[in-house]
Amino acid sequence: MISSTNFLNRACILLFAGVFCFSGCAWTEKNVSKIVQTHEGKFLIAVLPFENLSGTRAPLKDIRELFINKLRARGFPILEEETLDKFMARNRVRYTGGIDKPLTQAFKNETGTGGVLISSLELYSDANPPKIALTSRLVSSGDAPVILWIDGFGLAGDDSPGILELGLIENPKALLKKGVGRLAESLGEYFDKKADRGPIKSVKRKFRPKISYRSDVFDPSRKYTVAVVPFLNLSGRRNAGEILELEFIRNLKTIEQFDVVEPGMVRQQLLTLRMIIPEGISLANADALFATLDVDLIVAANVNEYQDYQGVFGKPKVDFFVQLIEKKSRSVVWSSVSHNEGDDGVFFFDLGRVNTAHAMASQMTRWIGEMMIEGSKRVQGSSEMNLRKGEK
Amino acid sequence: MGIRRILILKIILICFILIFFAACATNSNTYREPNMDFGAIQTVAVMPFVSLARDNVAAERVRDVFINKLLSTGAVYVVPVGEVARGVARAEIANPATPSPEEVVKLASIIKVQAVITGVLKEYGEVRSGTTSANIISVSLQMMEVQTGKVVWSASSAKGGISIWDRLFGGGGQPMNKVTEKAADDLINKLFK
Repeated sequence: MISSTNFLNRACILLFAGVFCFSGCAWTEKNVSKIVQTHEGKFLIAVLPFENLSGTRAPLKDIRELFINKLRARGFPILEEETLDKFMARNRVRYTGGIDKPLTQAFKNETGTGGVLISSLELYSDANPPKIALTSRLVSSGDAPVILWIDGFGLAGDDSPGILELGLIENPKALLKKGVGRLAESLGEYFDKKADRGPIKSVKRKFRPKISYRSDVFDPSRKYTVAVVPFLNLSGRRNAGEILELEFIRNLKTIEQFDVVEPGMVRQQLLTLRMIIPEGISLANADALFATLDVDLIVAANVNEYQDYQGVFGKPKVDFFVQLIEKKSRSVVWSSVSHNEGDDGVFFFDLGRVNTAHAMASQMTRWIGEMMIEGSKRVQGSSEMNLRKGEK
Repeated sequence: MGIRRILILKIILICFILIFFAACATNSNTYREPNMDFGAIQTVAVMPFVSLARDNVAAERVRDVFINKLLSTGAVYVVPVGEVARGVARAEIANPATPSPEEVVKLASIIKVQAVITGVLKEYGEVRSGTTSANIISVSLQMMEVQTGKVVWSASSAKGGISIWDRLFGGGGQPMNKVTEKAADDLINKLFK
């Protein structure tokens, strides 16, 4: 009896010692435990090879390795490389820009992963100052693939040069480290439930759509499931449609009223239905997608211009036209035209200048999402007309 | 001498007539079918525009802006561009930018519209005069009613170009997007006049 009491005391002392001594590792342990709690004891993440949308050669393997290291440092359990390679070979996975239902099920059953991290490199320029843009998303594995988290960055070495250009980043690796670190932070915040899209005030008004239309059929307070179909690329930039599609998904996902379907599932449905959309989506196509994907809204767009620049001189340009088709009414419920250039509204010392098309497109799409759910304010008409009416 | 005076008087009179009657001139670049009830048109289709400009994507851009401007008036509904493309394919229209009256009737029955708008982009881009440059757009549109395929409205608009201000101070004129929006506004004003 005495010995058992002593044993209990010792156990208690050891427990307290453990609690005090290991408090230094609190962040990692806490987060891992949360991740673990999220999905039946283990939330293993599979990081798919990066999709290259930049149109140029880029050190994709190095970037991926850096991202994996950052995630491991944050305490995320990552699926072993060998296991992933074997899985991809076994399931003949060639497309890494999205994931469909059979594949998420296979991931869950064969490797036990909780989520799949899909990343797309949108811009890579190592010419001084360097420019990098990357978007990454975490899709849940299992029977119902859902985008759990999506974020991205578009950075240029001269984004904030500061006094005497002390803040200038000339090394692409340093810029990459900064961006990837930010992404890993963001994923950590998602699991911490701290993720916040921030106030719309942080997004400049100059990025609002120049002309917009919202139908009365659209209810800004209702929850909609949204599918983003591949955008029509009329610009000179390769993959501009896919890049802007990701921006839309990212910014619509942050809005509570929208549940966005994983683009890999949309792609799979388009392939299954043998549907090609050469000149925009027709109502017949939309009906088929509404039925198979069980969505309420379809986002389609034309990318007229998506331009980045290399080096010091130049400015990014983004110009697109987007329409949303609603299931019940079979009509366009939102339509807008957005175009901006990196030096819009910049008058002195490059103050407010945007250096990457990604950063600009992100703010432009964010405004569209915000304007769609705006309740009281008038969102229809041209931005100038609205300004004239004194709505700020 | 008397004949000469009469001749001078006649010339002065003609000059007066020419000057003062100019005020009565009508806007000759707009046509409206007097018997057409434009209020009955609720759904329209905007066909791809013919582009006579160097920029291949320009016609698509102008069409996008025009569709959006038209939608944002709230007066008419414009069917999605993809639906128009489907209608064009089903009606087997060889040249969708310039459909014949029969093709318009056939297309309208497929995509359920009350009017079809076609357009020609005549000029789009930068114009130069000496050392000065500015953006310019010139576009003309036609609306066809779908019962007979007859043209019921036609208008054109040209915006931008080199102003005296540009000549004196430079500056390159207004951005292309701004000029395009102005032209679209002008055409819509002419349609709803």
